[in-house]
Amino acid sequence: MKHIVFGATALTILATSAVAQQVTLGRFFGDCEGAGTDTSVSVGEACIIQSIINAADAELEGISVNTLPTDWGNYYDQIVAAYAGGTPPNVHVMHRHRVPEFASIGALADLTDDLAGAGIDTSDWEPAALEAVTYNDRILGVPMDFHANLWHVNMDLMEAAGLVEDGAPVLPSSPEEMMDHARAVQEATGQDYLAADFAQFPIGVRVALALIWQQGANIFDGDTATIDTPEARNAIAALTQLFDAGFANPQLNYADSQQAFLNGEAAVLVNGTWVVDFYAAEAAKDDEGLNRYLVADFPTLFDEGATWADSHIWAIPSPLKANDPERYDAALQVLAFINDHNIDWARTGHMAVRRSVLESADYAALPHRAEYTGTADIARDTPPSRRYGAIQDVLNRELQAIWLTGKSVDAALADAQVDVQDLLDR
Amino acid sequence: MPRHQGARLALSQRQAAIILLLPFLAVYAVFLVYPFFKGVWISLHDWNLMAVAFNPDAKSYVGLRNYERVMWGQNITWAAWASPGFQIIGVLGMLASAFLYRTGRAGKVTALAMGIAALLLFVLPGFHPGEGGRWFDRRFWPTVGNTILFVGLAVPGVTITAMLLAAALDGETRAKAVLRTLFFLSQVLSVTVVTLIWQIMFSPRQGLIANLTELFGGSPIVWLTAEGFAMAAIVIATIWWSLGIAMILFLAGIQDISKDLYEAGALDNATGAKAFWYITLPNLKRTITLVVVLQIILHFQVFGQSHLMTGGGPNDTTQVLVRYIYQTAFRDSELGRASAMAVFLFVIMGGFSILQFVLGREKDE
Repeated sequence: MKHIVFGATALTILATSAVAQQVTLGRFFGDCEGAGTDTSVSVGEACIIQSIINAADAELEGISVNTLPTDWGNYYDQIVAAYAGGTPPNVHVMHRHRVPEFASIGALADLTDDLAGAGIDTSDWEPAALEAVTYNDRILGVPMDFHANLWHVNMDLMEAAGLVEDGAPVLPSSPEEMMDHARAVQEATGQDYLAADFAQFPIGVRVALALIWQQGANIFDGDTATIDTPEARNAIAALTQLFDAGFANPQLNYADSQQAFLNGEAAVLVNGTWVVDFYAAEAAKDDEGLNRYLVADFPTLFDEGATWADSHIWAIPSPLKANDPERYDAALQVLAFINDHNIDWARTGHMAVRRSVLESADYAALPHRAEYTGTADIARDTPPSRRYGAIQDVLNRELQAIWLTGKSVDAALADAQVDVQDLLDR
Repeated sequence: MPRHQGARLALSQRQAAIILLLPFLAVYAVFLVYPFFKGVWISLHDWNLMAVAFNPDAKSYVGLRNYERVMWGQNITWAAWASPGFQIIGVLGMLASAFLYRTGRAGKVTALAMGIAALLLFVLPGFHPGEGGRWFDRRFWPTVGNTILFVGLAVPGVTITAMLLAAALDGETRAKAVLRTLFFLSQVLSVTVVTLIWQIMFSPRQGLIANLTELFGGSPIVWLTAEGFAMAAIVIATIWWSLGIAMILFLAGIQDISKDLYEAGALDNATGAKAFWYITLPNLKRTITLVVVLQIILHFQVFGQSHLMTGGGPNDTTQVLVRYIYQTAFRDSELGRASAMAVFLFVIMGGFSILQFVLGREKDE
């Protein structure tokens, strides 16, 4: 009898330790096959994050991490549907701007009192990072980065146009000056001055927003839409003058605009921090197109500096904390692991959130890092709103209508004003 | 035991039918009837998808307000020529159906159905916001219009192409069999693959079409972001994608036509195009009706092509109804409103299903 009891106990212990706690993980950033578990060598967002996840899966005792499909376009629709169906991933990435939408209905677990126990030191986070994951004074996530729009510069084209001084690109300080620079580039090289995705994702919106913020305005204030303004007209005019003169092509989507820049067909590409390491790697290749690559802070064309910025953060659904404490602990450990690899994630070009990382020599030594140190100070976004995604879509639709279909600025701004006001009123 | 056997045999035909139908009816009730009525019920509520998931009491009954918010507006008035394009087609349609009925070329039911459709086309576009008025949702009706335009282009496109292909590929030779398989092959692809292929085809930088236009000295068209071409682009992709089934139906229809007719026609010098026009086409009337109605119902549900290729743009020109429903439900979490739109879509498709049913029953004149 004794033997049987012992045997049974031993078996139970064996069984429980053998069954790893499985944590499902939802993310975007795209797919990376064969990312491996070495977090220090991967290149590009998709592969760096996947290598960190693979390493967590391999190194965390008794935890296995299962990455769900990584599609960009429908990520939030999918997450919303998963929450509604009661099957959200155990941990998932999201943007700071989505926190109000999820937190206002209590979908995100309150991590405030559990982070220290999991080995996450919140006092090491930059104040802005802490703010990004805080809702009603509670911490609902673990921040992973600050990201922002930068100007990616082809130095060969700039030099040919005489727009280089002391090894740095000369950037415009007004819309008029931007036109002069654009003309100089076109005359000297025959190439476009500026490229960006003005036709697909809301990158054009973010450029326009930055120019609106640079004039001290915004697109809504509390519950009132403030889109149809002189500031918005100035911002739009600054861009359409480039399109009208043939110095920029608004019809390129994300992939095409990036390809145009990498082919050496545009002096400047407006895109985020997430591609710095990728472009640096492309420029290093010994081929046609982009060769000398530098990064610059988004220039100030109006009164004050501003560029669009956001943060990627990781969250845990509240039902997991309430219903499955063991898996919740495992999920926290995954978040702690990601937090520990902040330096690896920063290799993408994103700005780190941990002071210990920001002050490290490794961080300072990352390629091009010194070229956009000013970005942290001019980082901006629209006010928090549960309707952020829908508002971005309205702006993207109406701005694209202006530069792709010739819709009048008056009509587009009036429509955007009505649509955003409707969204704020709902 | 024998008595048992006897009892079993005593099942009436009706009882047996019910027992045999039961599994189907159960599945049908649980997965189709129940969700449908639940959808209608949701459409009568202010229902936030996420909020209700976390708190079942977060919904509130609002009656028909979702329908009003989606379809109606402030100060809506009606005028005969508010939207002349559609309304003139409506008037012409009514005249045509009366003419066809009078001259005996269309049956009573066909003429009536056509007449009602034309009347709706005349009446519905006449509503517009009057002085100082506005639609509550300014994007809903344009989206419906885009969907109808899509159907109006894709259905004839698919039908005519499939019919011509079927006529050309009917026969026993090996080459024709191979070609039939090839043309059907696109049908088995998923919408993601189809849209991926066509996004590359249409790409102004690397696309086949752009390369061809450049070869002939033209500058490439940016299909997916140009206002005049975006809808054409998704229609072309759709025709390529959904050709297969229609072609198979036409092949079956063509093979049903008696060879005697062609022989008799050949004696009267009717071969090739002439035979197609005077023999094949009239005998395919029922198949054409079937294909057209099936395609209409299918293409009203267009989603993937618009969502994946153009994102509804530029300037909403390719925004279609199902994509709007999807965004309202899953991006905006407004399930009540989305359900109201879905019920509207159901009414349209229900109308065409009834039409199909009626036309299918009509006796050949």
